[in-house]
Amino acid sequence: MAVVNPSFGEELKKYGAVDFNACYNCGNCTAVCSLSTEKDSFPREMIRFSVVGLEDDIKSSLKPWLCYYCGECTTHCPRTAYPGELMMSLRRWLTSVYDWTGLSGLLYRSLPFSILAFALTTLAALALSLGLKTDLPAAMHYGHMFEALAITGVFAAILVPNIVRMWWLVIIRPGKKVPVANYFTGIGELFVHMFTQKRILGCDENRLRWFEHFLLVIGYLGLLFTTVVLDWFSNTSLLVTGFGYLLSILVFSITMIFISERFRKNKESNRLSRPSDWFFVIWLFLMGVSAFLVRVFLDLGILANNQWIYFLHLTILVQWALIIVPFGKWTHFLYRSFAIYFNRILAEIPDK
Amino acid sequence: MGEKMKEASYDVLVIGGGIAGGEAALNLANNGLTVLIVEKDLSVGGKMILLSKVFPTLDCSACITTPKISEIARHRNITIFTGSEVRKIRKKNENDFEADLIRHPRYVDAEKCTGCQLCEEACPVVVPDGYQFNLVGRKAAFIPFSIANPRAAAIDIESCTLCGACEKACPPGCIDFTQEPEEYHIKVRSVIIATGFRLFDPLLIPRYGYGLHKNIITSMQMERQLAPTRPFNTILRPGDGKVPCKIAYVLCSGSRDASVGNPVCSQICCMYSIKQAQLLMGALPMADVTIYYLNIRSFGKGFEEFYEQAKGMGVSFVKGKIGKISENPNGDLLLRYEDINENRVKEKVHDMVVLSVGIVANRDVSSFFGEGLLKLDPYNFVSQPDQLLRPAKTSIDGVFVAGTASGPMDIPDSILSSGSASAETISYIIGRNE
Repeated sequence: MAVVNPSFGEELKKYGAVDFNACYNCGNCTAVCSLSTEKDSFPREMIRFSVVGLEDDIKSSLKPWLCYYCGECTTHCPRTAYPGELMMSLRRWLTSVYDWTGLSGLLYRSLPFSILAFALTTLAALALSLGLKTDLPAAMHYGHMFEALAITGVFAAILVPNIVRMWWLVIIRPGKKVPVANYFTGIGELFVHMFTQKRILGCDENRLRWFEHFLLVIGYLGLLFTTVVLDWFSNTSLLVTGFGYLLSILVFSITMIFISERFRKNKESNRLSRPSDWFFVIWLFLMGVSAFLVRVFLDLGILANNQWIYFLHLTILVQWALIIVPFGKWTHFLYRSFAIYFNRILAEIPDK
Repeated sequence: MGEKMKEASYDVLVIGGGIAGGEAALNLANNGLTVLIVEKDLSVGGKMILLSKVFPTLDCSACITTPKISEIARHRNITIFTGSEVRKIRKKNENDFEADLIRHPRYVDAEKCTGCQLCEEACPVVVPDGYQFNLVGRKAAFIPFSIANPRAAAIDIESCTLCGACEKACPPGCIDFTQEPEEYHIKVRSVIIATGFRLFDPLLIPRYGYGLHKNIITSMQMERQLAPTRPFNTILRPGDGKVPCKIAYVLCSGSRDASVGNPVCSQICCMYSIKQAQLLMGALPMADVTIYYLNIRSFGKGFEEFYEQAKGMGVSFVKGKIGKISENPNGDLLLRYEDINENRVKEKVHDMVVLSVGIVANRDVSSFFGEGLLKLDPYNFVSQPDQLLRPAKTSIDGVFVAGTASGPMDIPDSILSSGSASAETISYIIGRNE
């Protein structure tokens, strides 16, 4: 038996949900959604769960991750209940549920806390840069080491445990009996979606949105690979240098488009941007630009006299790696892919 | 009628000659007051005279409207201006209103016309018939519809080629292309607004594809197909003339929907759809009829029983708003919706879809009076400042409202509302005299 919990709605509002209580359950949102299928029908069910406060049912649901926020449901909602934004808020809320540290929730709910986190990381990076000011090569060495360590650390300490928690919430706790073999047969799905996001193409929108997003993901992952594995800032190979330039330009030009779209509120999904959305696109943009400039300064031979640009890049990198990647919007890269993977696994077990 | 007067005075001006305006006029005239009805259409009777049957009694709508309309038209205290419009109404004082009217030319002397229809036969121009809601064509010289009152021809001058064929064919010689618009200056003591409603325009919901997919019609088009004066002798889908066997009703098409600008319930669609479904079960015994609804609002006397009766007759009721309609190559329609009782999205094929369109306000009412004098409610219906105790009262003393001009309502409520408006008018006029 379900227990009605109206205060859950209040909690969701802290994650950006608006006016979803206006819903009168006509199902128009579900019917106009081109990703909604007979097996996975959303968003109305999620709205109902949110209104009634069925927290556990939402925790075990993968539906919020199956939505790519084209915004059709919100445009056509007869009650102006913003179903698309509710789905977005549920993704933010689920991110905080999966996160064992609880920091995700704090960052999503509180702008002052987010600012504090950014200020603290700025101070740390500043202290580091003051300590190493005279020694740029050492700083670049430590910076490079930090990148590798941060990636390993964040994955090992935060992201992997969170994925395990997600798995526990959606498969183990609800008592789903999944044969071990399914985990292997479905694994392709995980990587295909992680690197192509091809489900967006199911949205009725134009294909440009998918293509921009796809280029950004490829650009970002490529830049990560180039800087961390190929050590772009120290590499002398013409090929690697050129590749790095290309990828960093890709990252900051596409994020520039995304930022300007959020400013112009040209799409339903851009109309109600939250601080977490802004931090994500702006920091990605700053990362691309600062990495690009560091390499330009290096190639012009003026980096030694303009060390500040490297320390700026390092600060942005630290904030990105310690705030946005483990606790912020970056995580949707993982949770979405795993949600599709888990959903595939669950789809293979027969309904009772 | 027919006098070449430019000035006249009456006790009451009734704007709109539908069932609400007609009923109010009749009540006033029977009490000895003189009434002028101004009707912009070519016939009185409004929307009701075009309907098939009424809910929940299934009385023939045309058969109960026509005698009423005849009574109104022949009443010695009632004058009717058809094809006429109100331009301006000024309140000089209590019991003292002045109205500027315009009578558009009919290009036919309605007094002399015998309704023989020879002009119709002779006319070479065919245009969509608005009284049959564009299901069939009519001529440019035409009698509006078979039970129109006055049952006299008119020339649709916009479509007319001025060939003169009708003039030659007309036995009494009543066609007169020299007619000009006539302006009238009227003095009255009180005014009743009975301007009715407009149907919601389904083109405003592009995802339903009305106008694009041929086999989607509005409920008013279905109403015409079911009426005694129907265009075909059976039910046909317009795309290819096939007799449909799986008919879907889409409730709340343009009602309770903020995204198309009309967030309120139209109050009649549930019931008229249930009524049409029952009539369809009679007209096409082999057909399946499905009604897609959000909530069934069967709140009036005998309504719930009427709804149960439809279920008993085999009409399917599915809870869920239709999200999208697409067309198959054979003209059948694919409806996508979420079945709310099963929590899952579904797609169903129907060979004909009826959009149960809602009702919206006639916005031109407030322009009759001075700027901002006649207050409208947020949905552009005439505002009722004392809705509970004096529902016919408007924001102007001496101006009353009857029927759907004040908001969505069904026929029995319109009649009640007209009773209230006529009683208020009488007490306003008598009260001022004493």
